[in-house]
Amino acid sequence: MTATKNRLIAAGLAASLVAGMATVAAAGEIRVGITMRMISENGQKYGQMVMDEIDMINKAGGINGNTINATLLNDECKSDKGVANATKLIFQEKVHLLIGSTCSSVSLPIVDVTAKAEVPQIIPHSTNAKITQKGSAWVFRVPVSGRYYAGVNAKYVGENIGKKIAYLCAADAASQNDCEAMQSQMKSQHGVEPAYAAQVQEKEVDFRTHMQKIKTANVDGIMIAALAETMARALTQSYEAGIPASVRRIGSSSASNSPVPSIAGDAAKGVFFAAAYAAADRRPIARLFNEMVRKRYNINAPDHDFSQAYDLIRIVELALGRADLKLDSGSLAADRTAIRDAIASVENYQGLASGPISFCAAPTPQCRDGNRTAVLIAYTKGGENYVTEVLARVTMPADFGL
Amino acid sequence: MDFDFSSLFAFILFGLTIGVVYGIVALGISLIYSGLDIVHFAHGEIYMFGAFFGLVFSEQVGVPYPLALLSAMICAGVLGIVIERVFYRRLTRAGGGYTVAGMGMIICGFGMSVVLQNIAFLIWGADAEPFHVDLGEPYQFGDISLPKSYALTAVMALFLMAALHFFLVRTKLGLAVRAVAHNKDIAFLMGINVPLMISLIFGLACALAAAAGTLIGPMQSVQVEMGYLMLMKAFAAAVVGGFGSLPGAIVGGLLVGIFENLGAAYISPSHKDIYAFLLLILVLMIKPSGLFGVEARVKA
Amino acid sequence: MTEANETDGARGSTPMLSIRGVTTGYGKIQILHGVDLTVQRGQIAALLGGNGTGKSTLLKALSGLLPVWDGVVEFDGEPIHQLRPDQIVRRGLVQVTQGKDAYPAMTVEENLKLGAFTRSDRKGVADDLERVFTFFPRLKERRNQLSATLSGGEVQMLVIGRGLMARPKMIMLDEPSAALAPKVVLSIFATVNQIRATGVSVLMVEQNVRMALLLAEYAYIIRDGKILIKGEARDLIKDPNVKLSFLGGTVADTSREIVA
Repeated sequence: MTATKNRLIAAGLAASLVAGMATVAAAGEIRVGITMRMISENGQKYGQMVMDEIDMINKAGGINGNTINATLLNDECKSDKGVANATKLIFQEKVHLLIGSTCSSVSLPIVDVTAKAEVPQIIPHSTNAKITQKGSAWVFRVPVSGRYYAGVNAKYVGENIGKKIAYLCAADAASQNDCEAMQSQMKSQHGVEPAYAAQVQEKEVDFRTHMQKIKTANVDGIMIAALAETMARALTQSYEAGIPASVRRIGSSSASNSPVPSIAGDAAKGVFFAAAYAAADRRPIARLFNEMVRKRYNINAPDHDFSQAYDLIRIVELALGRADLKLDSGSLAADRTAIRDAIASVENYQGLASGPISFCAAPTPQCRDGNRTAVLIAYTKGGENYVTEVLARVTMPADFGL
Repeated sequence: MDFDFSSLFAFILFGLTIGVVYGIVALGISLIYSGLDIVHFAHGEIYMFGAFFGLVFSEQVGVPYPLALLSAMICAGVLGIVIERVFYRRLTRAGGGYTVAGMGMIICGFGMSVVLQNIAFLIWGADAEPFHVDLGEPYQFGDISLPKSYALTAVMALFLMAALHFFLVRTKLGLAVRAVAHNKDIAFLMGINVPLMISLIFGLACALAAAAGTLIGPMQSVQVEMGYLMLMKAFAAAVVGGFGSLPGAIVGGLLVGIFENLGAAYISPSHKDIYAFLLLILVLMIKPSGLFGVEARVKA
Repeated sequence: MTEANETDGARGSTPMLSIRGVTTGYGKIQILHGVDLTVQRGQIAALLGGNGTGKSTLLKALSGLLPVWDGVVEFDGEPIHQLRPDQIVRRGLVQVTQGKDAYPAMTVEENLKLGAFTRSDRKGVADDLERVFTFFPRLKERRNQLSATLSGGEVQMLVIGRGLMARPKMIMLDEPSAALAPKVVLSIFATVNQIRATGVSVLMVEQNVRMALLLAEYAYIIRDGKILIKGEARDLIKDPNVKLSFLGGTVADTSREIVA
């Protein structure tokens, strides 16, 4: 009697165990790995935003009944950490999709990892042109490639500012890249060489020697390519050196980061840069987004790190919805391919970005650099409550700068 | 091609104005070394804390800049004394006296530097903080404009050096500090409360670092990571001048400032931080004890 | 030997300095193995011994530079063995170190003023400075010179003068004759005698046994961290064992037998 009872219980337990396992499998779990630079307050906050958005997708029923299981890692903008994160996410967590990074120097080596492991990688923020030039069939870039930025910048500068430009280029990879691209665009579009060019240290604090030299060189504009805080210091010191506001200050892509206006203060006024997003955007979608970020994360005017991370999640949501996923133990490779193909099918997505985002199947920059439109943004007021305006909006052909 | 003397003058001027700041941090490092025989590796972080103190007093408390400078010096001095009393003194005691020139102390300094950096990170975050001090239009010398902040820095730094010199040479307490710096046992036998003097030396050195931080804050913004580079430069300055020599620290600071600005201007700006160490190597090759270093133990 | 130094209470109610069973050392190495010693008020006592016998260690323990492991040190009737060196100086017990311990980078005057660090009576300090200059006129001539430029005899004068600047009740001299010419030693010893005449008790640590015994009233001979011989100086100077031990160059084992 008791023996039978025990056997019954055991059978019941086993059955419920099997059933439990089955439900886990049936609910379907799309594993997404994210590696981003989260070293500043803003970095923490846009990491949080990505996770919050994924949560909201799950709470609203997930994607075709499947939930997204996201793992967020911090790479601190260091390539070794980024590669370690990617490796861990791909081989240990067995993610279906990798998001990241937000630094070119990190995204670039990860491209090789994802290409080899055949995992789709979608990049929220990295401008280095080489990322999509490696010919990986697994990589997608949401932001605008540096090659467009420089083209837009050079076009505007040559036509509206002048052709005598001084360059201060910090030693970090992104700034070097921006600087070189701008110089080569100035040469190819307008046939001019730099009036003054100097490489400075990544975290240089004292620019007076350069400013003195630039002052005596009588230039039309100064391009300052550096990470945000370094750029802010250079801007401040350019005014201290007595270079008048009539000499326009041109920023590299990191000029869009909020520390630039908040640290540089009045010295940020008039600085302009090419970007993939403008907080001053008047479209309803942008106004709603600004409102959301202000409310949720207490950020006055979100920069393009935020907007691109947001666009990326929407594109991922769209693509995952289209992909035909099995999500069982044997379908990992097939599911990864399906997701890749689904992202490649995204066409003309209109989000917060400066222009429509379209991908296609070929492993070329033309197909994988989704956004080809850059806006030129200028600060009209510096400080914590900075104000920007849109100077111009320029779309480039897909093969520009190649 | 004409050599531009006006620019050369400007570069030297820039070098001097930053050099005095290296000088006062180096002065603190040398003071601690001569007083305690320890190389204080957390001094860069004290400088960083000083800058934040100055920022807090100036922007959040809202006191005038000179008062913020003074308050920052006092706070950093107190911080330094607490660190010395609570942490370093245990180590020096464990070594059997008030002096340990050992590995333990060096590692403790490094550890303190990491701890302080993380505390600052928790309080103020990683982002650079702007430190706005409006002193008006820059001075104009022909083609060169010298921002008032730089001029003020130079004047304040020179004033601090003069005040320290007066204190050490003209006052009874200063005499005691010098006595402790030279020989703690003998100082004890003079009836000097040596542990108290060591705290005083530490506090003074930290107050000097805070002054440097508050002076440089408005020019370079204030950031948790700012201490490391300053420590390196001030170290180079102290060694160039002769480790433990107070006039040497100042001259070393000025030399490092000028040398790196000229290097950046005429050789290559992309590796500006190297010039300080190039100078260091040059000086050590010619005079291993540094410019003002004395072979015999004649300190202070 | 007589026990006169302990029992002779004629000069005052309590001795100036009284040490009972003091042990100490460096780290784990014990140097002193229970030292008893007394200095009466106004007395010059000598502590004699060769190198490495524990003389300087005892002085450091008395000054507070070395912790006293066990035993009692009473100065002017009060225990001082748990005080910091600067507190001991403030009580009036001042150790005068060897001439090499003058501050070379300071002037003669600065060195002397440093000696008066514990005092705040400007007038008294100025008076004492003049008093030191009357003891050592050479120092007055050189008051603004760095002490690094002084001769061996002059720095010895300087450190003694520096010790007096604290206006002590008692000074402890650490080998004032070390590395000095006999003529200089004589003049320094004469000054020590003058100092005693002003009411300052003196404990003098010496290797120069003959000279010390001529100056001191009472003497202790230390060896291996223990007092071996003690007695009136005038008795010791005639003692053949003392002669054999010190004046003869070898500290023979016979000295042990004396105590036994």
